[in-house]
Formats: sequence, C-alpha cells, structure tokens
Amino acid sequence: MFRNQYDTDVTVWSPEGRLLQVEYAMESVKQGSACVGLRSDTTCVLGALKRSVSELSSHQKKLLEIDDHIACGIAGLTADARSLAKYMQTECLNHKYVYGTPIPPHQLMADLADKHQRTTQIYVRRPFGVGLLISSVDSRGVPHLYQTCPSGNLYEFYASAIGARSQSARTYLEKHYETFATCSTDQLIVHALQALAGCVSGDDELTVDNGSIAIVGKDQSFTLIEGDALKPYIDQLEQKADNDDEEGEEEKESEAMET
Amino acid sequence: MGTLMASTEASVEATSKPIEHRFSPYDFNGGTVAAVAGPDYVVVAADTRLSSGYEIKSRHVTKLHALTNQCILASAGCKTDVDQLRSVLDIRGKMYQHNHRKPMQTPSVAQMLSVTLYGKRFFPYYAFNVLAGMDAAGVGAVYSYDAIGSFERTGYSAAGSGQAYVIPFLDNVIGNRNRLEEKPVLAAQEVVELLKDAFLSAGERDIYTGDQVEIMVVTKDGIQTQTFALKAD
Repeated sequence: MFRNQYDTDVTVWSPEGRLLQVEYAMESVKQGSACVGLRSDTTCVLGALKRSVSELSSHQKKLLEIDDHIACGIAGLTADARSLAKYMQTECLNHKYVYGTPIPPHQLMADLADKHQRTTQIYVRRPFGVGLLISSVDSRGVPHLYQTCPSGNLYEFYASAIGARSQSARTYLEKHYETFATCSTDQLIVHALQALAGCVSGDDELTVDNGSIAIVGKDQSFTLIEGDALKPYIDQLEQKADNDDEEGEEEKESEAMET
Repeated sequence: MGTLMASTEASVEATSKPIEHRFSPYDFNGGTVAAVAGPDYVVVAADTRLSSGYEIKSRHVTKLHALTNQCILASAGCKTDVDQLRSVLDIRGKMYQHNHRKPMQTPSVAQMLSVTLYGKRFFPYYAFNVLAGMDAAGVGAVYSYDAIGSFERTGYSAAGSGQAYVIPFLDNVIGNRNRLEEKPVLAAQEVVELLKDAFLSAGERDIYTGDQVEIMVVTKDGIQTQTFALKAD
C-alpha cells in the first residue's frame, strides 16, 4: 500500500522496514530462466536452461567458468552477471598470483556478498539484478554450493534452483537431495537435468540446444557439457513425467559414461 | 671534477676518481635452453642448474613452463624476472581463456609475450626466451626473443649461457649448413637425441650448464617430459 512512495531510491526505507528497490531487484532474478545446483560428497554440478530470444538467435550462455575449482550459474540481468563474473575471475587470478594457491571459495563468497551489499547502501548505485549459483570445491576436496541474491545475502545449499518456474526444480531437489551425497557425477548430471526439465515453459522440452551443465569436483577441474555431449544424459530423462522410475536406467548407462 | 684535476695531477692513481656504487636489480642465474621445430612436433630442452656468480644455488630448478598444453616457454636469465614473467603470462592466458572459452593458440602467445616484454622496455625483464609450441596448422613452431620483445619464428633456437655452443651445432645438424647431403626429415626421438648431444657439449665448456636436462616433446596430443643427466661439475 505504501510501496510507490518509498521505492524510488535504494536508500529509502518503507514503513514496513523494507528496502523496496532491493526487493524489486530480486524480482528480476525470478524473470531469468532457471538455473539449478546440487552436490555430492566430491562433486558439485550446475545446470541451466538457456533461453534464446528468437529462433534465429543463439541461446544465452548461463554457466561461466570462474576458476578451475569454481563455476557460476546466472539468473537475471546477464550484463550484471558478467560484470560480477569478471570481478570473481580477477579476484581468483590475483589470489593465485599473490598467495600461490587457489582462492578458498568461502573467502570469495564473502567478498562477493559484501560487493552486493554495498550497492544497497549507496545513493548513486543500484543493486545487481542477478542471482548467482556458485559451485566450488575447497582445498580439501569438499564441494560447496552457494547462492547470492541482490540483497547481499549469501546462502550455502545442498541443492538449489533459481529463476523462472524454479519451484518445480526445488520440489524435485527436496524430494531427492538425501541421495545426492553418494551419487556419481553422471547421476548428479541426470538429476540436474531432470530438475531443469520441470522448468521449461509451455510445450517446450529440454534439449541439447537449451540445456547446459557445468561440473567442478575433487579431482575435476571446471568442465562444461553442452550441445551433443549432453545427448546421452538428456536421453535418460523422462520429460514432463514422473521421474521415480529412472534410477535403474541411470545405473546401467552411467558406468559406460563415467567421466 | 675528474677532468679538471687531470692536467695537474696526471700522476695520481685512479682511486682519486669518484667511484659510483650502484645496486644492480639484475642477477644472472645462468643455464641454457633450446628448441627445435618439426613437421608435427616441437622439442624443447633446458638444463636445470641455477647459479649465482660462481656458486650453484640449485641443481634442480626447471626453466620450462607450459603456458597451454600446446605451448611451452623456455627462459634463461634472471630467475625472479623469469618467474614474474611466467605469472603475468599465466594470468593473461587465463583471462583469455575465460573470455574466449578456449586456450590461446601458439602464434597468439608469441605475440602476447612480445608485447608483455616491450611493456617493460625501460626496465626490462632479464629473461631470454624461447617459445615452442604447435601452431594453428599442427606444425611445430619455435620463436626466439630478445629481452625487450623482438621476436621471430625460426626452425630452431637456443638462449642462455650455453647459447653459443648449441646454436652452431644446431645450424649444422638441423639447419643442414655446410653439409652436402640433402636435409633429412627428422623424427621427434632423433631430435631428442641431438639435443642431448648439444647439451652434453654445452655442459662441457659452459660452467653454468649442467646437472640435468629436462626435455619436453609437444605434439597435438600434449606434452611428454623426460630428463637426462649431465655432469655435475
């Protein structure tokens, strides 16, 4: 009811104690196409549904490499995301140059969260209109999945999904997350794609053109799986159908394709 | 002041002239590197001795650095400048990889090394570089550099303290100079044996070259490394 009077500047509180500009920025994240993340004890997988503006255009890249041990999926304003990705990439390079080791993911996340927060407290800036899912592995080989949002809050998850229609993915992940810890990489990938398959709009399907997967793991540097390389995994999905019957099929095919 | 005094004090010793003391930012850490390009391979070799003055600081320090899995930088000169140069190139190479989603090709690395060196034209990296890698067509490429970035693609090259012993040998055997028979096409393993001979010779006469030779063979499938012992004297 008071929204319109107090929502012009990010430095103005609403009577309910909310920063409306920040909340509007979070709406922008919900407009972006879906991005999911999940992890096992050794590997963290990100999946993304790539949107294309028209049939003639390419699909928007959504999974970015930050370092050998850190990947990032985006939902929201792509340009803001690229700016943040560039910041993270230079932080990683700088840390490796100065200290000789890969940056600890939690340290990068703390800096990233602070960077988001700063924009919510300065008159001349605006919040970043993008949510990030960041998959990483720390120096002891333990994977971590983080989520940032325009408010500057940082969350760590076992599994998460952001973007348009992501509730369907979150429901799927909540149902299956207890089995993820001991999953193989191939099984995680199929879970990620199955979660994403619920986020497509209307009659669309998840295909090798609009799906994409990124992996970081204990002994695995950043690897991107797109296009035809995705086909063996997509073939295992049940699109728009109940997914409990898949477990048997996954076991059979995952051995042949262990990466 | 020296010239003012010269006419009246020609018999005074040189100690009366002002002696300038200066900190030298450079140290010469010695060693030799060499590379030879082939039709579908390139072989790079470097000794592993690190010296300073007449001392050996270490017998086991590498002069080779893989910038991508198709391109190796071999550098002799001042170790700290070499290390810094490698760090800078690694960072620039990684940024390229982030932006282009693929590693840099060797000719691009060659150009980047040149501009990086010239960037410190007035306080140079004391690094004498040889860049070796597979070019875009899958043919072996060797590039030679001076300290400030002047470079040229050649069939073979050597740099460092043993350069003068290695290059004439390679001129004869690889470049076929002063030979009457037709230039043979050599296989990678034959070139490896030739470089071992080259380093044996350099190690005999150059005090800064010795201990061990690290040899890397680059093909389209990647890099293979082997080591070869030299005299430790």
